[in-house]
Amino acid sequence: MENNLNIENKVMEEIKSGRVKLRSKYIFLAEKLGVGSAFALSIILAILFFTLLLFYLRSSDNLFYLSFGSRGFMAFLDSFPYSLVLISIFCLLVAGFILKKTNLIYKRPFGQMAIFLIIAVILLSTVLAFTRLAERIEQGAFNPNSPGRFFRPFMRGCFEERRGGVVGRTVEVGGDYIIIQTPNGLRQLQLNALEQTSLNEMATGSWVMAVGEGEEGSFSVQLIKRIDVNEMPFVERGVRRHFGQQFLNTSTEFRTPCSMGGCPNR
Amino acid sequence: MSLSELSDEELVVVVREKDKEAYGELIKRYQTKLSHYLRKFINNSAELEDVLQDVFIKAFRNLNSFDTEQKFSSWIFRITHNEAINNIKKRKNERLLLDENEWDVVDEKIDLGRELDGKITGEQVAVALTKLKEKYRDPIVLFFFEEKTYEEISDILKIPVNTVGTFISRGKKHLKDLLKK
Repeated sequence: MENNLNIENKVMEEIKSGRVKLRSKYIFLAEKLGVGSAFALSIILAILFFTLLLFYLRSSDNLFYLSFGSRGFMAFLDSFPYSLVLISIFCLLVAGFILKKTNLIYKRPFGQMAIFLIIAVILLSTVLAFTRLAERIEQGAFNPNSPGRFFRPFMRGCFEERRGGVVGRTVEVGGDYIIIQTPNGLRQLQLNALEQTSLNEMATGSWVMAVGEGEEGSFSVQLIKRIDVNEMPFVERGVRRHFGQQFLNTSTEFRTPCSMGGCPNR
Repeated sequence: MSLSELSDEELVVVVREKDKEAYGELIKRYQTKLSHYLRKFINNSAELEDVLQDVFIKAFRNLNSFDTEQKFSSWIFRITHNEAINNIKKRKNERLLLDENEWDVVDEKIDLGRELDGKITGEQVAVALTKLKEKYRDPIVLFFFEEKTYEEISDILKIPVNTVGTFISRGKKHLKDLLKK
């Protein structure tokens, strides 16, 4: 009993003297808001990046390389958007970490909440991938004044030149080569190693997709086929962005072979 | 209405908004219970008193973070639990301590006696409880010795209610295995 009074007296003495004070409620409010905001931001970013990933897979050349079988597999790996996948996973991990460490929802098992989060992100991203949001982000990535430019570093792999595959619009057809407009510029495709020849299909203005080996300045084709660019709007937009007005021109300007300096963008 | 007629949660509101001295009433209500809980982990009376004092001071400082929709009992027990764990970590060889009354609790509620040959001493049980993993030991101590409900244990330890039941069940099994050795 005496001990009890002792503790009560000691604690109340500290409180009355002002040495121990109530922490402001605003500090706790700020902490809650901070944690809540960090959690919400990580979920939103996970959804956004996953949306971009699905949008890219849906509208670019990446998955189409698999139609070439094992030959197209390297091109598929080369053009796969690894950074988008990694960032999406990272954002989900951050959200899970916040959930676990702050006991935000401790009444439910963490595993259940994690699965729910992942499914929610995938579903929302799938829906958003079919809206214009991702396309706006893609366009914004190339606009220095747009907030979308934040996403450009993470989408770098989507726009880079592929080593194992190429897709573009034919602007010149030669004896053993064709020249195409790609999102990265003009590319000369050497057809010497072509396993099947169907140059008749490679008319000027047609869109083609090829797998093979790329070297600096040229691409040695193993397999090539004509494609419907409506299935790859991401690529078409990239070509339009790069070539602008030139995209609309006919092949007249490109009659001179590249070996004779006839490729102005190279 | 006198302070003693108010619930814990109502008292918290009074302390926050009107009269800090009303906190004395909360101390009176909880010092015996918390002291009893801390005695599981701290042998030395002076040290126990210091830790208990720290608990009440910490609880006062953070009183504005308490959600009055929750139970104050669970909230302050969580603070006490954390302080007790911090104290144990300082002394790696510290052992769980049970008094004589609690040895009977072990026999009646945890029901170890029938399955084991010979008499088990309270000392052996205390040693075995100490060896149990924290995630099993804490719910067992809170449920059998502090008579907390699953809901309260869930709030104190910040784990799902179903998990409390699972941990208690597994903890009892591990305890029996440890005592058989």
